[in-house]
Amino acid sequence: MEKLKDALDFRDFSRAEQVGFTIFSIFLLLFPWLGAGSFVKAVMIQFLLFSLFGMGWNTVGGYGGQVELGKAQYVGIGAYTVALTMVWWKIPFWVSMPMGILLAVGYSFMIGYPLFRLKGHYFAIATIATSLVLQDIFANWKLVGAAKGIELPIHDHPDFLYMQFKSDTYYYYFIMVLFYVAIFYMNWFRRSKLGYQLRMIKDDEDAAESLGIDTRWCKIKAYSIASAFVAVGGGFMAVYNLYIDPVSVMDLDLSIKIALMAMLGGAGSLWGPTIGAAFLVPLDRFLGSWLGGHGGLIGLDFMIYAMLIMVVSAYQPRGIWGIIEQFRRKGS
Amino acid sequence: MALIDALLQGILMGLLFALVALGLNIIFGVMNIVNFAHGEFLMIGMYTTYWTSLLLDIDPLFTLPVAALVGVLLGIASYYSLIRYLLRGPAIAQLFGTFGLMLFLRYLAQFLFGIDYRIIQKGLLIGKSLSIGPFIFDWTKLAAGILSLFAFAFVYYFLNKTKTGKALQATSINKEAASYMGIKTDKMNAIAWAIGGGTVGIAGGLLANFYYIYPTIGILFVMIAFACVALGGFGSIKGVFFAGLLVGILEMVFPVFGSLVNSDFLGPHFKFTIVYLAYFIIVVFRPQGLFGWKN
Repeated sequence: MEKLKDALDFRDFSRAEQVGFTIFSIFLLLFPWLGAGSFVKAVMIQFLLFSLFGMGWNTVGGYGGQVELGKAQYVGIGAYTVALTMVWWKIPFWVSMPMGILLAVGYSFMIGYPLFRLKGHYFAIATIATSLVLQDIFANWKLVGAAKGIELPIHDHPDFLYMQFKSDTYYYYFIMVLFYVAIFYMNWFRRSKLGYQLRMIKDDEDAAESLGIDTRWCKIKAYSIASAFVAVGGGFMAVYNLYIDPVSVMDLDLSIKIALMAMLGGAGSLWGPTIGAAFLVPLDRFLGSWLGGHGGLIGLDFMIYAMLIMVVSAYQPRGIWGIIEQFRRKGS
Repeated sequence: MALIDALLQGILMGLLFALVALGLNIIFGVMNIVNFAHGEFLMIGMYTTYWTSLLLDIDPLFTLPVAALVGVLLGIASYYSLIRYLLRGPAIAQLFGTFGLMLFLRYLAQFLFGIDYRIIQKGLLIGKSLSIGPFIFDWTKLAAGILSLFAFAFVYYFLNKTKTGKALQATSINKEAASYMGIKTDKMNAIAWAIGGGTVGIAGGLLANFYYIYPTIGILFVMIAFACVALGGFGSIKGVFFAGLLVGILEMVFPVFGSLVNSDFLGPHFKFTIVYLAYFIIVVFRPQGLFGWKN
């Protein structure tokens, strides 16, 4: 109960942030009734999904300062668990998604334990390596469809158990609920003991260690929380897209996008990942579809992306949220 | 027999891997930055060789100086336009900065040249092979191995025998102390990037003779280079040479074992997986590598 109260407590934010968040929430709630086209709806779903991913990344990457570039492997675990159990044994989504979370968390403990012996660059590269290994395995493993991927069976009529709906609106509300669960959880997390410990580790790991914080164990815990978040998103991707393959749910590009959105928005702040996703997902989508219409311009969207990353990391490593705070401090 | 053949082929590939990893390791040693864009430098070296040989109608082997020059310029340009600014920020920004550079170069190549796989079809050595006893070597791979060895030896000589090379080593051992001795850190950093770009440019030019050329090839080779650097020890030049050989052999010998067992999980398509796995295991259990001194 206490925890729940903490999670819903936004009082320590500034007035502007509270008002902004309220307006944003009203907008999210009413969005399906604003008469947006199916393309815009799909973009919104993507936006919420990537906010969810980004918030997961933010635990270990933002608050803990451990640059993690292998999140896609957990998207993959979540998505494959849901898809495979549905194809093989007709297990409903509501059972298979928790299974996916459990698997992802278990796996994250397994590789997190050796991984967190490493720091900085070594850690970042090692997370890429583990993700690539898993992708290679799935891309060659015939039992799970290898590189062809898996198609989920489509039901004739909408089925809540299997999360199959005719209209995107249902998917939209479902991911919106997940998004809010994530926001509330993160709001609690940032003031939890683990949250403070992680920030301490980010600032000065030796000092944290000397205060008796088991830094490795803290990082592993945060890493498994991040993995759980991402696996939920992965499970959603499977039922929403009805088709998954190693490239769409496990590729390095996906890991990069997840880390990038959190970083661009502002790593280590509650709103950061959402702001980052609000910038990058529409940019990605609209640019992608616009350039798709002008065939032959493939890659231009990613070039703009890449330039953004370079400029942000060179001038304001704390991201868009850092820029906003900078202005606010000047103003007051 | 197949095993010895794989061993020899692996050594040739390994020499090339060592050259690719060399530049990465010099940059890491001198300024403690991991260059994610290193594989993209290689890719640009490959395209340079491809286009100069195609458009100017010269043999791909003679385009190596062009590839080296492009690599050097690319290294220097990246340093002065981006890396210098990243140095002021936290480590996370440095990581993302070179990551951004990697994406930028990759998609620039995709934008300019498309996603097609290209291959150089005309050349002095292409399609020819040398047979010694039961072993058959492609001349292109033989040349790549031998020329990589020469390039590596040249850089090794430069680092150990010239004044600039020694200054570079001094900077990598202790930046502050070196700068008190009048060694300009900024200049050393730029030189490190120039050497890094140049060597990997040559490696790209050599690789282009026998390998597919496509925009996303970088990640594969940067991971191989990371594995070599981790194995050899971050900052160790000698180490990276032997590590390159070892990775080359591993990558060639593994599929031979794989072909003995009929399984989904052992086969030629996993030859790079084993390299990633090797990286993971090495950095976890022996972070300083085989010859490393920097931790």
